[in-house]
Amino acid sequence: MANLSVNICGVNFKNPVIAASGTFGFGKEFNEIYDIGVLGGVSTKGLTLEPRLGNPTPRIAEGYGVILNAVGLQNPGVDVFLREDLDFLKSKNIAIIANVAGRTIDDYAGICARLDGKVDMIELNISCPNVKCGGMAFGIKPESVAEVTRAAKSALKKTPLIVKLSPNVESIAANALAAQKGGADCVSLINTLTGMVVDIERRRPLIANNTGGVSGAGIKPIAVRMVWEVCRAVDIPVIGMGGITCAEDAIEFIMAGARAVQVGTANFTDTLAMPKIIDGLNAWLDRHGIADISEICGVLQLNG
Amino acid sequence: MKEQKVKILENAPIAAGIYKMRFALSEKTDGLFCGKFVNISVGDGAHLLRRPIAICEHGEENGVQAVTICYQVKGAGTQAMSRAKVGDELACVLPLGNGFRLSEEQKRVALIGGGVGIFPMLSVLKEYAGAGKDFYSYIGFRNRDAVCMADTFFSLSARAEIVTDDGSFGQKNNNAVAAFFADYEKARPDVVLACGPTPMLRALKTGLKERGIAVPCYVSLEERMGCGIGACLVCVCKKSGKEENARVCKDGPVFEIGEVEI
Repeated sequence: MANLSVNICGVNFKNPVIAASGTFGFGKEFNEIYDIGVLGGVSTKGLTLEPRLGNPTPRIAEGYGVILNAVGLQNPGVDVFLREDLDFLKSKNIAIIANVAGRTIDDYAGICARLDGKVDMIELNISCPNVKCGGMAFGIKPESVAEVTRAAKSALKKTPLIVKLSPNVESIAANALAAQKGGADCVSLINTLTGMVVDIERRRPLIANNTGGVSGAGIKPIAVRMVWEVCRAVDIPVIGMGGITCAEDAIEFIMAGARAVQVGTANFTDTLAMPKIIDGLNAWLDRHGIADISEICGVLQLNG
Repeated sequence: MKEQKVKILENAPIAAGIYKMRFALSEKTDGLFCGKFVNISVGDGAHLLRRPIAICEHGEENGVQAVTICYQVKGAGTQAMSRAKVGDELACVLPLGNGFRLSEEQKRVALIGGGVGIFPMLSVLKEYAGAGKDFYSYIGFRNRDAVCMADTFFSLSARAEIVTDDGSFGQKNNNAVAAFFADYEKARPDVVLACGPTPMLRALKTGLKERGIAVPCYVSLEERMGCGIGACLVCVCKKSGKEENARVCKDGPVFEIGEVEI
């Protein structure tokens, strides 16, 4: 049994496998299938200050090896989360990451202040492709990434801040650097790639929102490349995600420099995907005679 | 609900574009019941989403639990499913959702089904066969080629009517909801259960309201799903008169007809 635990910004994860925001709710449903206490952590469904109903349905579609979703941040609001869901997650003794979103800079600062000291980390969702943010897309330009990061960070006295980066940008490394300059303690990537699926019989996009975020196995090579680029650009820890289905996928991200990984779409394909990835990491490390997962973090060597 | 491998015992067409799949469970599973569903993998690597399909029948064969589902081959995913062979294993979570439950007092039961919505109705017939209920079934298909399981509806119902959109089988110029209302005074159901296309359920809701019929009525809804277990909030519907959504997979798929917007 190798040591799988990792420490990110002072937060201990018993292993580097974290449920990605939006695929896992607040953990209660998956806990009916397995004890989610085996996970390293959970990034919650994206929270906003007020409850949100989200987009019309259909909210999901498939492509080859990928899915598209446009849920539109449906959530009960941060206060309901604090009242009804946080204690359950705490009882599981896992790292709790609150994923948060807003329409304005003040929204981000406000929700961070509300959660400060109550969760282990906060993950700033500035890259949700499925919500119209009043014309303001914080995740696109480095300047706005830095600005929203600064506002969130100034509202946080205790809880470390992760900024979740969008791949739908000119340079994800430049945005990662902007987040670092804005005070981010960590970055996570990639969020979904914006895509579209057409129902040719109806001559309309299949998803009610027209476009949706593409995720799943098919996007993994893009995600690994971006994680590698970002790891070279910043000094803060990086959490990698995008199409991870098995332990070997997770190891690719870790070798590219990610300290931990998040798993999203794979939870839909197999509800036991994450426990299997954790077991698989152990088996792979044992097979290679590696005692600690940190030994393979960032070991990627480029071809001459 | 349990994640498990299921082993295919049967997977063959029973009508135009409709397949019947029967599979054996690998783990002892509680809570199988009519109106609930399974979320089953289509068995190839290209399709990451499972397919949520209603339980049509469940039982035990030689000490092994078996479940029957019927599905329409519609896109590449269900085409892949239709190619699965006897003996193949598929990943599956089951049982999911709330299901149809009849109280002791609900003796006369109307079943309205359209298209693949007939299969949850069939599950009710099978579940409550021999439980002293009188079923009045109104079952609609697109055309003669799509008709299946008619014999089961006839044999397990006190009265069953099969209708088709084009009149190629059963009553002409009719649909399941119209047949139900035409027969309402004779059937006098204590409860109405329905599953089918949204326009069918909408016609049922409107028809009950217009006629001032206050009979308890439960409908099973269909929606594209993500996780199938209530976590991802992909398959929602609006609750009537509330700024709130319900999850079709977890809070449903069966809802009291007035509870949600259709």
